[in-house]
Amino acid sequence: MYAGPVQDLIDELGRLPGIGPKSAQRIAFHLLKLPAQDAVRLSRAIDEMKARITFCSRCFNVSEGDECELCADPRRDTHVVCVVEEPKDIVAVERTGEYHGRYHVLQGAISPIEGVGPDQLKVRELVARLEPEGITEVILCTNPNIEGEATAMYLARLLRPLGLAVTRIASGLPVGGDLEYADELTLGRALEGRRRLE
Amino acid sequence: MRLQRLWLTDFRGYAAAELEPAPGLTAVVGANGQGKTNLLEAVAWLATLSSFRGAPDDALVRVGADEAVVRAEVVADAPARADVGPGGSEGPGGTGRLVLLEALIRANGRDQVLVNRQKLRRARDLLGSLRVTVFSPDDLALVKGGPGERRRLLDEALVSLAVKHDALRGDLERVLRQRGTLLRQAGGRATPEVTATLDVWDAKLAELGEATGRARAALVDRLRPATSAAYDQVATASASVTLTYDPAWRRCDGGLGAALAAARAEDLRRGVSTVGPHRDELELVIDGLPARTHASQGEQRSLALALRLATHAVVTDVTGSSPVLLLDDVFSELDPDRSHALLAHLPPGQALLTTAGPLPEGAAPGLVVRVAGGRIVDGGAPGAVAAGAGTGVV
Repeated sequence: MYAGPVQDLIDELGRLPGIGPKSAQRIAFHLLKLPAQDAVRLSRAIDEMKARITFCSRCFNVSEGDECELCADPRRDTHVVCVVEEPKDIVAVERTGEYHGRYHVLQGAISPIEGVGPDQLKVRELVARLEPEGITEVILCTNPNIEGEATAMYLARLLRPLGLAVTRIASGLPVGGDLEYADELTLGRALEGRRRLE
Repeated sequence: MRLQRLWLTDFRGYAAAELEPAPGLTAVVGANGQGKTNLLEAVAWLATLSSFRGAPDDALVRVGADEAVVRAEVVADAPARADVGPGGSEGPGGTGRLVLLEALIRANGRDQVLVNRQKLRRARDLLGSLRVTVFSPDDLALVKGGPGERRRLLDEALVSLAVKHDALRGDLERVLRQRGTLLRQAGGRATPEVTATLDVWDAKLAELGEATGRARAALVDRLRPATSAAYDQVATASASVTLTYDPAWRRCDGGLGAALAAARAEDLRRGVSTVGPHRDELELVIDGLPARTHASQGEQRSLALALRLATHAVVTDVTGSSPVLLLDDVFSELDPDRSHALLAHLPPGQALLTTAGPLPEGAAPGLVVRVAGGRIVDGGAPGAVAAGAGTGVV
């Protein structure tokens, strides 16, 4: 236990994802040594983010205004929507430069253990977007783990009867890699999802 | 597959130890509580990433240390496998390929494993680099204990046969946890949301459960003749031994998916998954009677031993490489006849055994290692800590 304010900060940092008690302590003491203006800049950045950033009213990406930059961009194809779990997944898909449609952030995946069901996700909001925006294809881009797969399956069953194309991203091998370095699961999936060469 | 050298640092009671097991049989001797089993436990940890005594990681780290290091040189005699990680690509495989395995077991935090000094991304990528068959005094539970003991026997053997089964088992457990939580949260009410979400978990459970059932059934088909043969070798009297794996859900039209649909009302009412591979039983029968309730103590011990030997034989057969046998204090549990039979029918390959008492008649170890107070006092690696320490001749 340290003097009140130091311990308070360690406790707060320790609540952050991926930060254990030891890391929290190290960061707290680093901040303690920092010049006052540097520490204030950090605390102001946090304040500003909380004050100015909200979620886009359309796709639930992080946004500075009511609508995020991507939804406001007139060059995006409005007929395709890519469904992801978190805003950070948008960044990953955007980096590919291959996708020019819009997004929809579920803000999580179905996981009863964490108390998350379809009602806690932005599922209803997704369904409400389909008709007004004239969406013809939904790409399910949730994580390839148990919860992400379950979420994708849930959405596919919900959306398919509505008569639009529902697709799931493929799983497979990293480009530029060697087969011998691939783990057996990924390689197994890649074999399952093989394609005929045209 | 052969363990050429083993180093321990801060593992259990060992501050530092080094061992060069014989190519054949190595006997680890010493009084109780001196650290014999810990040597076997360290070897088995590299093979399974867990303690065969069920100890959590922090119990494996010596008191006062932050991490334990287990390092082993293994001579692989199987073809190179992609799943041994970056180190597996060194050569074209074949005989005599030397692999250095290292595990940093941390009291708090993630374990780190290395193959040929290359860090592996995930600890489980180490699986398959070393395979072991463990015989322990607790094995009687395979016959006398609940069905979970027998499921574990099958599932662990499946991981030895193909590493992908480890992921299958992990995924299945996760889906069962999610489904179970959802059933409890539903509180017996099948609202449209609960039904729609359950449908998804049922589909996942059906897919993973069917795969598990197929793998278990195929394994039991191989174990059946092997167990029967092994039983005749170790038992003092011959008997007919039958293994049956035939869960009701596998006989259901439409498979596990249909069985889950049929059980849904009951599952919702009780808040648990009542049907699936997590409730499977492997029935063991000796001369027409259930071994768990009707066999004598001696027959049960012979059958437990036969199951281990059969698993060992099947893994050897399928992978083309015999796992390292680890016999922990098994002679304390066996009468002289069975001890003798076990030693006489010990499969070819490398074996390490521990005993607090004298070696059973017929044991001719290539190396005897004496352990006392968390140190190898005699028979350790040449030039290691043992030098000059051991005076006792075994």
